[in-house]
Amino acid sequence: MDQNSLHRVRNKALGIAHGVGLFLAMLVICLPGIWIVLSSLRPTVEIMAKPPVWIPQELSLDAYVAMFSGIGKGGIPVLDYFRNSLIVSVTSTVIAIAIGMAGGYAFARYRFRAKSAMFLGLMLTRTVPGIALSLPLFFVFARLGIIDTHFGLILVYVALNVPFTIWLIDGFFRQVPKDLAEAAQIDGCTRWQAFWQVEFPLAGPGIASAGIFAFLTSWNEFALASQLTRSINSKTLPVGLLDYTAEFTIDWRGMCALAVVMIIPALTLTFIVQKHLVGGLTSGAVKG
Amino acid sequence: MKGWRPSPPLLLLLPAIIVLAAVVVLPLLLSLYSSFTPFRLTKPETLWVFIGARNYINILSNGDFWIAFARTVVLLTVALNLEMLIGLGLALLVEKASRGQRVLRTIMMFPMMFSPILVGFQFKFMFNDNIGLVNNALQALGLTDRAIPWLIDGNLAFIAILTAEIWSSTSVFAILILAGLLAMPREPVEAARVDGCTPWQTFRYVTWPFIMPFASIAMTIRSLDVARAYDIVKIMTDGGPAGRTELVWTLVARTAYSDARMGMANAMAYFSILLSILFTVYFYRKLAAARTQIAAEW
Repeated sequence: MDQNSLHRVRNKALGIAHGVGLFLAMLVICLPGIWIVLSSLRPTVEIMAKPPVWIPQELSLDAYVAMFSGIGKGGIPVLDYFRNSLIVSVTSTVIAIAIGMAGGYAFARYRFRAKSAMFLGLMLTRTVPGIALSLPLFFVFARLGIIDTHFGLILVYVALNVPFTIWLIDGFFRQVPKDLAEAAQIDGCTRWQAFWQVEFPLAGPGIASAGIFAFLTSWNEFALASQLTRSINSKTLPVGLLDYTAEFTIDWRGMCALAVVMIIPALTLTFIVQKHLVGGLTSGAVKG
Repeated sequence: MKGWRPSPPLLLLLPAIIVLAAVVVLPLLLSLYSSFTPFRLTKPETLWVFIGARNYINILSNGDFWIAFARTVVLLTVALNLEMLIGLGLALLVEKASRGQRVLRTIMMFPMMFSPILVGFQFKFMFNDNIGLVNNALQALGLTDRAIPWLIDGNLAFIAILTAEIWSSTSVFAILILAGLLAMPREPVEAARVDGCTPWQTFRYVTWPFIMPFASIAMTIRSLDVARAYDIVKIMTDGGPAGRTELVWTLVARTAYSDARMGMANAMAYFSILLSILFTVYFYRKLAAARTQIAAEW
């Protein structure tokens, strides 16, 4: 074989290997999710079957119906959990974005003393493990009587989200050229007007994706919520998931169904932001 | 003379500082204080008894704590390194793909939106010794004829937790490194190839220095949230069987809420906070170094 065709064969083999590798990687990423969705649609008998039933014989929405049909019929108060999750996540996100915008703008547009140390300090408050933070908060909240309330949880999630929101929004404001706002000011805008009319609309999509990121963090948080909530007054979905394991046997199908309910909003939102999110993370961090 | 006016950046940062001080710093000071008391939730008056560093001495002489601490460090080190490697591999695979990069990138983000508690649950389900997908598949393929006790044996449970951890966090690395690869100019790679570099040399001396900062960003972001592993472990094994997958965080939770020994738990919590801070500061400094490098080169 001459060198030319040898090279061609080798290239082809590499191409196939690449395709196979890519396919396997994507399979590993997707499989757990697909398996959850599938299991939520199958009858419990099939899930428990030994030897396993690989190809589903019948699919039904029974698990979802049971879940939403209230406590008496083997369901858990999913609607309450869903409402709590939504209220807490949305409110804390809105507040965190407002605070984060102010902070991010300060980091992106001003020079001040100890700026870098300040930034690191803010980030370090985020690193405190949720479970470590929950100990004193549990005690303080119990004293203040705001345990098991929306207010308490919102307060915590705002604090949880502010540092990372500042990081992201800082990055997005850096992408907006300074000259634009300066030009607007020369044309007679106040700094305040220049911000709202020029810089804010340009950084808008980025800020929105920072918001969605904050929303997801609150939506998914467990360590703090599990200690600061008690009842349907404020329990969120991640804590609610444990309702199924509290019993002696685990209702796999019910858990899978609840998992699907939890993941759908997160899924939708992440698809919306994915493009901006990466841009914000990298530009903010690279063009330091 | 005009009165003192706060500078604009300070004013803008004030809300953030107030919230963080109220919700994070002050409670942590309280817990620092209570770590020097024998405080129990059931006996509030014990908050006022000062016992010095006895909690810390107890912890430091407690073998279980050290084992859990070491296990946490090992888990984090192994997990972060593997996530980095696999993320890098994944990013390179996707970057090489000629078609459908957008779709692939979207799929790659899939694990990111899973709540850690959900990740824990789904892997608990998959690694279930009786009905789990992993055992069923292994048995169907004839690789083993008995049920492997994934979550019951200590070492296997560690592997299962590691798998869940890696599955959930690799995408952060993959996505950011991919962003770096896509932002990279083509010329240096081509020049290297013309100059006769092997693919490995091209990667090592041309591509890697370019994407290093992006890897540092991913590491920093990831290290902010290392304690997320608590959620996964909590639901998968809850530190069991018999404490063989106990991490610092599950130990803190158990001491505080099951045993109600708040003072002791707070002292332990300080070790876990220290661990997180060390990880973050370490990677943040790497990030700062990478930034200056980029500023010089780009």
